[in-house]
Parts: sequence; structure tokens; C-alpha cells
Amino acid sequence: MSDERIIFRGVSKFYGEVLGVNRVNLEFKPGLTGLVGPNGSGKSTLMHLMTGLLSPTKGEISVLGIPPNRPERLFRAVGYCTQYDSFPAGATGATFLRQTLLLHGMDRGQADARAWEVLEQVGLTDAARRKIAGYSKGMRQRIKLAQALCHRPSVMVLDEPLNGLDPMGRAEMIQLFREMADEGRYVIVSSHILHEVDLISDAVVMIHGGTVVAEGGIREVRAEIKSQPIQVLIRCDRPHAVAGRLFDFKHVVDVRILGDGEGLMVRTEDARSFFADLTGVIVESGVAVETVMPADETVHAVYDYLIGQPGGTT
Amino acid sequence: MRGLRRRQTVIIARTEVARSIFSRRVLPVLLLVGMPLSLALLRGLFMPEARRANIGHTTADFAQMFFFFYLRFIVFFSCAVLFVKLFRGEILERSLHYSLMAPVRRRVLVVGKYLGGLASTWILLLGATVVIFVLFYVAHGSLGLRYLISGAGIADLAGYLGVVALACAAYGALFLLAGLYFKNPMVPAVLFLGWEAATPFLPAALKALSIVHYLGSLLPVPPVMGPLAMLAQPVAPWVAILGVLASIGVSLALAVRKARRLEVTYSAD
Repeated sequence: MSDERIIFRGVSKFYGEVLGVNRVNLEFKPGLTGLVGPNGSGKSTLMHLMTGLLSPTKGEISVLGIPPNRPERLFRAVGYCTQYDSFPAGATGATFLRQTLLLHGMDRGQADARAWEVLEQVGLTDAARRKIAGYSKGMRQRIKLAQALCHRPSVMVLDEPLNGLDPMGRAEMIQLFREMADEGRYVIVSSHILHEVDLISDAVVMIHGGTVVAEGGIREVRAEIKSQPIQVLIRCDRPHAVAGRLFDFKHVVDVRILGDGEGLMVRTEDARSFFADLTGVIVESGVAVETVMPADETVHAVYDYLIGQPGGTT
Repeated sequence: MRGLRRRQTVIIARTEVARSIFSRRVLPVLLLVGMPLSLALLRGLFMPEARRANIGHTTADFAQMFFFFYLRFIVFFSCAVLFVKLFRGEILERSLHYSLMAPVRRRVLVVGKYLGGLASTWILLLGATVVIFVLFYVAHGSLGLRYLISGAGIADLAGYLGVVALACAAYGALFLLAGLYFKNPMVPAVLFLGWEAATPFLPAALKALSIVHYLGSLLPVPPVMGPLAMLAQPVAPWVAILGVLASIGVSLALAVRKARRLEVTYSAD
């Protein structure tokens, strides 16, 4: 197995007779990967398997060459912010982090210094000496994140990390994840807020009924969905002129003028040919084009095509 | 690496001591320990004047109380309360994942928790043993004090403390294991208490599977067993110590095996 990748090979997990995930073959790359799927689809199971909190019924997993059943090695490289909203009884923010860091082999001084550094990073210095049991939902989420990142892991596994955070907190955390991903670390985030996944992810893994239905860059995934013509939004000054010309092309299946009359939405079965032909149309018709952009190369749209309405996702 | 493991063990053990002694977890143990303490206090207060001059009665009374009540009931259930919680408590609090997400071998986790539980029970139960023992004898005034300081008292007390220490180690390992295997470990604990009570009636081969059989052989003052004396079949002290150590070893080995396969499935637990 490779030392620099996170790999699932034929991984299945059954809880008795109940399916958790089925025959998952995945490879995560460095950067930010969004993990999306409806409730009970197997996202948390996948994260638990990756971090050794569950053992696969079948198959094998390697996280940077480390099998997840070796916690003494795995959790030097991995930080996991779980979905569980529970903490060791009596712990304060500072003692919770210090305990983690001491177990990583730091001495008291180093552990204290690093704990305060991370508490500052997640905006919890004022509450550091208070018991976590008295924290608000957002503060508990922040301390979980702090615990996951305090030892500077190269793989961050984050299960719904933005839950309970206010808009400012979400923005700060997203920026933090982005920075970590840009440093070349693996940041694997599950979120039910698809537009956030869309904003931050370099790649997505979509899971449904315990099966991975799509993985990769959102554009690649979208391109693979042949059954759904690609939608392209064109904002221009004379949409009717463009629409008339576009119907001449076989790959164009639908053209609709936008409600405000300042653009059109085109559905095409062949994006590459469409963009090539569109250039000619624009030049020949002499319209002033403001924007040409894919309208459904989003996590939301892809999710909708592959899984269904995203309303009930987690 | 070995140094790191040792430090991790100490950190885990220290945390467990704090959780066991400075939390509500300790209350049932204090209640249990309060029973023989109250008994010793009341016995001293209401001891007839005529008996105050005879220390032999007290030595016999303490031996009876220690074997049939303190060891079999108070030490047994105190260990059950504290050791079962080491893993089961975290499962019920849904915080076990933090222990499993530490960069620590599962073996180190089990040993650290076990040592933490052991230190806690030793602090509480060895301390209580000393106080109860002293309360039994101070009722005799200066005679009792002389017995404690310069008589056989110290040697007897040391013997009882050794038995309590071994009992905590053996019952503790067993209850730590029970906490890993059973959703409600108090059921097997009560069944095991029944097994321990039935020990005198068991054939020799099955007696070997009882912890109290070995502990009973190590008592400094043998209790009066009555008709059961014929069935007790005590063993040599070195056999008893080896028997207790073997039971600790087996329990901990099984606990490590189970801990290696431990999964976080709170909804199923």
C-alpha cells in the first residue's frame, strides 16, 4: 500500500445484518474533500472506519500507509472531529486539550503552550478554564475542532464540523480548513450544507445507501452524469438572437430565455462541442456577452441528479 | 518509545484516579466503606466494660468481620463500582472515542486505566482498612494502643492490608474485563459474588477459579468457619499469591484482547 494516500479497498461494514458501507473503493487526495450523502448513508461509518473507531467487516484501509488498527501511529497523523457532542466528565477546555497533548508525548510546558495557542486559534481563550459541560453548542464544536487539530495532524477528518457555529464562526473555520488544505494536508469534511461544501471542496465523495455513487472533482463528476444535459448560463444583451442560432446544433436540447430578458439558459449533451460552437455564434451575431458559466457544476446539482432532493441530507 | 508508553500509562492512570476519587463515582464506595466504619465505631462505643480488658475477642471479631463482610462484600462491590466504570462509564457517557483516538496502544490504555483504578481502590480501601482496624482496638484504651504499636497489631494490620491490596488487584482486573464485555456488568458481578460465596462447597478444581479461596488462605488471623472449616481447604501462601496473580494476568490479557477490537457504536451499547 502507498505511504502517501488514504485508500479504501473493497471495504464493507455490516452492523450485524445492517449495512453500513458496501464495497467501498476510494482514494483521497491531499486537499479538501467534501463527503456528502443523506442521513444514514454511511458518511460517519466511513469516517469511523478511516480512524479505526470501527473495523471493516471486509476489505482494507490505509491512511498514509498506516492501518487504522494502530492508534499509536494513526493518531499522530490524524485528527478526528466526531459527530458526538459529549466530552470527558469534568474536563475544562484547557485540561481537555492538555490531556490530548500530553498523550502525544509533550511535556507539561509544551502541552500548556500549544493548548493555549490552539484555544486562541478557535476563539476559546476566555472560556478555557470553564467546564466544557457549560459551553454553548458552538463552543463545544470549537473545542472538538481544537482537539482534532492541536497536534498538527496531516489528515483532518471532520464530521459536520460547522454544525452549531454562527456565520462568523463558519467563515473562520472554513478559512482554517482551506489554509490546511492549501498546505497540502488532507482535510475530509462531511457537511449537510451543500453550498458550503461547494465553496470549500477541491473534490467530493457522494455516498448513498452505503455505496459511493461518485467521487472526484465536481466538474469531473458532473461530466460523468451523461443522462443529464449540462446547463449553461449565458448573460448577454440580445438573448433571442443567440437562442435562434443555438437551436441549429444537435447537442443543444433546450434553450430558455431568462425571466429578466438579459440572458438565456441552455441545456446541452456535449459541453465541449457547445463551447466551441458558442464562440462562433457570439462572434457572428455580434452580441455583447457578460457571462458564460456552467449552471449545474455544483455539489447541489450533482447531488440532486445522483441522489435526489438534498433537503434531508446530513 | 518505551519511555513514552510509560508516560502515557502514568497520564491515563492519573486521569482515572482523579475521575474515580474526585467525582460522583466515589459516592457509592464511600457509602459502602461507611458501613464497616460505622460498625467499628458503634462496636467501640457500646462495648461492655468487661470486654475492654480482653483484646483476644476483638482480634477474633475483626477477623470475622473482615473475611465475611469487608472482603467479600465491601471490597468486592467497591472494586465493582470503580473498575466497571473505567470503560463502561466512558461508553455510557459517550466519551470513549477520546480514549480510542489518543495515540496510544490499546494495551497501554487498558493497563493505564487498570493502574488508575487500582490506585483509587488502594487509596480508599487500604485507608479504610487502617481506620477500621484502629477503631476496633482503640476501644480497649491504652491496652489497644499498645497492641497496635508494639504488639502483634502492626503485623496483623500489614497482613490485612496485603489481602485487601491483592483483592483490589484481582477483583479490579475481573471487573475491568466485565465492563468491556457486558452492557450491564453488575449482573455478572452478582453472579460472581454467588460463586465466591459457594466456594467452600466446590470441588478443589473449581475452588481454584475462586479469588476468595486464595485470599482466605492469606489472612493473618483465620476466621472461625464453623462447619465450613472442613470444606475450606486453604492453600499455601505462595500458591495463594500465584493464584491471585494468575487470575489478574488472565483477566488483563482478555481485557487487552477485547480492547483491541473495541469499536465505537454508542447506539448499540
